[in-house]
Amino acid sequence: MSDIKIAPEGLEVARTLDAKGLSCPMPLLRTKKEIGKINSGEILEVLGTDPGSRNDIPGWCARAGHEYLGEREDEGFIRFYVKKK
Amino acid sequence: MKDTVRRFFKILCQTEWNATVSGIIVALLSILIMAWWRPWGAVGAIRNWGEWILYGAGLFDKPSDFLISSGSVIGIGFLAGAFISACLGNDFSFKFPPPWEWVKAIIAGILMGIGSAFAGGCNVGGMYNAIGNLAANGFTMWLGLIIGVVLGLKYIYWEMEHVTWGTTGGKNLDFPYGLKIVVGIIAFAVLVWGAYNYAGMSDNYAASLSGILLISAGLGYTMQRGRWCMVQAFREPHMTGDCTLAKSVALSILILAVGCAVLKYAVPMRGSAIAVQAALADAVDELDPDEIQDEDLADAVEEVIDASETAVAAAERVLDPVNYVRGTFGWGGVLGGFLFGLGAMFAGGCGSGTLWRVGEGQMKLWMVVPFFGISNALMTKLFKSMHMEGTGATHVGSKLGMHLYLPDALGYGGTILLVVLAMAAWYIIVDWNEDSNKLIVEM
Repeated sequence: MSDIKIAPEGLEVARTLDAKGLSCPMPLLRTKKEIGKINSGEILEVLGTDPGSRNDIPGWCARAGHEYLGEREDEGFIRFYVKKK
Repeated sequence: MKDTVRRFFKILCQTEWNATVSGIIVALLSILIMAWWRPWGAVGAIRNWGEWILYGAGLFDKPSDFLISSGSVIGIGFLAGAFISACLGNDFSFKFPPPWEWVKAIIAGILMGIGSAFAGGCNVGGMYNAIGNLAANGFTMWLGLIIGVVLGLKYIYWEMEHVTWGTTGGKNLDFPYGLKIVVGIIAFAVLVWGAYNYAGMSDNYAASLSGILLISAGLGYTMQRGRWCMVQAFREPHMTGDCTLAKSVALSILILAVGCAVLKYAVPMRGSAIAVQAALADAVDELDPDEIQDEDLADAVEEVIDASETAVAAAERVLDPVNYVRGTFGWGGVLGGFLFGLGAMFAGGCGSGTLWRVGEGQMKLWMVVPFFGISNALMTKLFKSMHMEGTGATHVGSKLGMHLYLPDALGYGGTILLVVLAMAAWYIIVDWNEDSNKLIVEM
């Protein structure tokens, strides 16, 4: 994996998915399902703790055509941002 | 200079390793551990720990010492390696899943324990190292794993629609990165100290555990750093279409099989220990050490004879081609692979993937291990009492399938060709599927 992409601050989030404590493959599958609930151009925020998501989420975005905006570290978890295509 | 060192640390301990490179390193270490002593597996350790739990509950006789059983030492080394990698790479934290995931962990452990009893090993000993050991049963488990994983994926899709209880509310207990680095370094020191301790033991068996511990740690480190997960290799082509890990596992199995063929072919062909013993037996045929007058000479002759016998026993034990071939080439392997694959989907990790995730603090997988161990220990005991896998090293009369060492049927050349063709077919199919998405199971 290349360097970690940091998301810009103050993104306007349409929906937040709590995937904390979940392990592979649940965070990605939940993300896949949750993105169906927002409109094109809106942003989904995923809260996760699985280090695997750092690779899975951007990889899936590239495959599915969504824009991966990056991540931001929080207290004990990571926020991932995906913009729906 | 400082920047160069920092870059080096980053690439060694922090970045996620490329899947292909990880697969090659895993194959290399798997060949090395076999050359050192024996192939590695995950279920041997997990079963031993399960037997200890059952012993603690008063249900089992005392199992072998977990610091002496080679299977268990492999597991300990593997966990230590994964833990060190997770600490140095800042991946370690106690990750507590939501309640429903705990329930899934219990179901997963039970399924994986039963599956690996039917298949004669988990994804490592029953599939990866089995194909590597040129054992036909590796292929039946491989087939079963694909079916189990696809069905497991369908279940998970169903679950996401229908299970609402306990699916959120996971917690994470993290520690400062500096502390993790210190703990990682301490763990590494303890590991090395442990290896030196084993190496210093007078018993040959125990002394050999030094290499087992270190090579297993290398495997755990590599697999955590590369997040190299075999269940993902089976699942991802059907979930997202991504075939990176599937290709990497196919390549890794191919390298492993070639390496094992080299080791296993070379021993009967050259068999230096066996040749030495035969020559020695000829030489001392007329000679009875008891009748030699010179005491020193008599002692020396006796020692040489003993040493040659030890060498032969060791050579036969380590690289006897039939070792690690199980009597599960048949329905046992397929059913075992299926149950194991299903369980691995519930768990989110296979045998090895479960262990390295334990090393990075995933509490769900901590829950999987005891149930996996207990169910496998119970099944193994039951199967033994029923002679399910037949008797003797060649599993005569196995009810689970055939005991087939592939070179006995196809020769070494034919066997390697078969492995090449099977892995190439797998590679081509998942690659084609990545573009066409034909094999994806839709949500």
